[in-house]
Amino acid sequence: MRNLINFLWKHSSWIVFAVYAVISCVLLFGRNPYQRSLYFSSANRASVVVYDLQSEVTSYIGLRKANRDLLLRNGELELEVLNLREQLNKYRTTAGSDTLPFDSVLHDYDFIVARVINNSLAQINNYITINKGRADGVEPEMGVVNQNGVVGIINAVSEHRAVAISVLNPKLRLSCKVKGSDYFGSLVWDAVNPRYAILEEMPRHVEFAPGDTIVTSGYSSVFPEGLMIGVVSDYKKQRDDNFYALRVALSPDFGNLGYVRVISNRMKEEQNRLEKEARYE
Amino acid sequence: MNNWLRYILLFVVVVFLQVTVGNSIHLFGVAIPFFYIYFLLRLPLSLSTNWVMTLGFLLGLTIDTFCNTPGMHALSCVVLAALRKTVLNLYTPRGEDYIESIPSIRSFGMSLYVRYALTLSFCFCSALFLIESLSLLNVGRLLLRIFASTALTFLMILGMDSLTKSGREKRL
Repeated sequence: MRNLINFLWKHSSWIVFAVYAVISCVLLFGRNPYQRSLYFSSANRASVVVYDLQSEVTSYIGLRKANRDLLLRNGELELEVLNLREQLNKYRTTAGSDTLPFDSVLHDYDFIVARVINNSLAQINNYITINKGRADGVEPEMGVVNQNGVVGIINAVSEHRAVAISVLNPKLRLSCKVKGSDYFGSLVWDAVNPRYAILEEMPRHVEFAPGDTIVTSGYSSVFPEGLMIGVVSDYKKQRDDNFYALRVALSPDFGNLGYVRVISNRMKEEQNRLEKEARYE
Repeated sequence: MNNWLRYILLFVVVVFLQVTVGNSIHLFGVAIPFFYIYFLLRLPLSLSTNWVMTLGFLLGLTIDTFCNTPGMHALSCVVLAALRKTVLNLYTPRGEDYIESIPSIRSFGMSLYVRYALTLSFCFCSALFLIESLSLLNVGRLLLRIFASTALTFLMILGMDSLTKSGREKRL
């Protein structure tokens, strides 16, 4: 017995090392990224205090560019509104005012505006912390966009803060398509350059050219159809030759995310329930 | 007792700086300075390895909390803490000379401290990036990230040590 205690005492540092290593590994591997505990994420209270402080200082940086982007986007939208209104009036005169339904893709969606208080680019698995939480209606698995395009998906939510898994994270796969076609592939980041991601599994017969716009497909309940993701910069064959892999220049500037919008889908619960039912039968 | 207070202050300062400044630095798209490990390098040599590992684990977990990477920094810090004495013994065959001192440029001399800090930075960065790339392995980029971040981390540690050194050794 005494020898045993002596032995353990002599090698205590190995035991301590093993214990810490095991705890770390449990934290590292034992968790689904969508169900991580709030205590070890940047939405907990202590982190939020520090990041709030930091973002108070840094949120003024890059405002000029953000402002320009917003003005540009505003101009585009205004043009589109004018265009659509004109078309609508034309149809109304030909078809009669009552037959046109008030329907659009965005009908079921709502936006919550939030400020980014922490954001990383340098790691492989990147996350974004925003300053809105459950109290403001943010829930896990809501989509996050800024004025230029898709940014991420909400992952963990506390009372007043939320963490989103960034597009710059290989754990996130986005279903998206080339604008104007209906074939879809999945977009995933290859952890090399924060300006580019790879759109995989695009069938070879789909027609596209570098410069084409990539948008969300709308097949998941997270994002509505047609949100901007990026622009095709080049492409190559995938290993099995039947698919192309497209390199997509992402349109949001992830180094400079000021304000973002969280998209909530009113029909999401219904859609998820239905899809689940369909899977079990 | 006073010493403990200094170390607690150092802990808070390195974590705050790492989280607000260090993690935003991403030099040439590859190099990140992890200067918060200076806290572990700085712990007195009289402290037993078990304590150093415990502190390393806590420090790593704190950083993890801020970075949303549970376990990653904690494990790397524990590895660093476990290797600290071994590395020092490697470079000082006579070992006992430094047994009571606090590692710094002043107490070690430039040449020994450079070897000490560089080796440990390298061990830490290797451990960290290896763990990180378990989810996505890209060997060339992994090596680049390790070497670039080691160099940057090492430079910043030297800088921090010179700051605390200048004639006011007692301050920290």
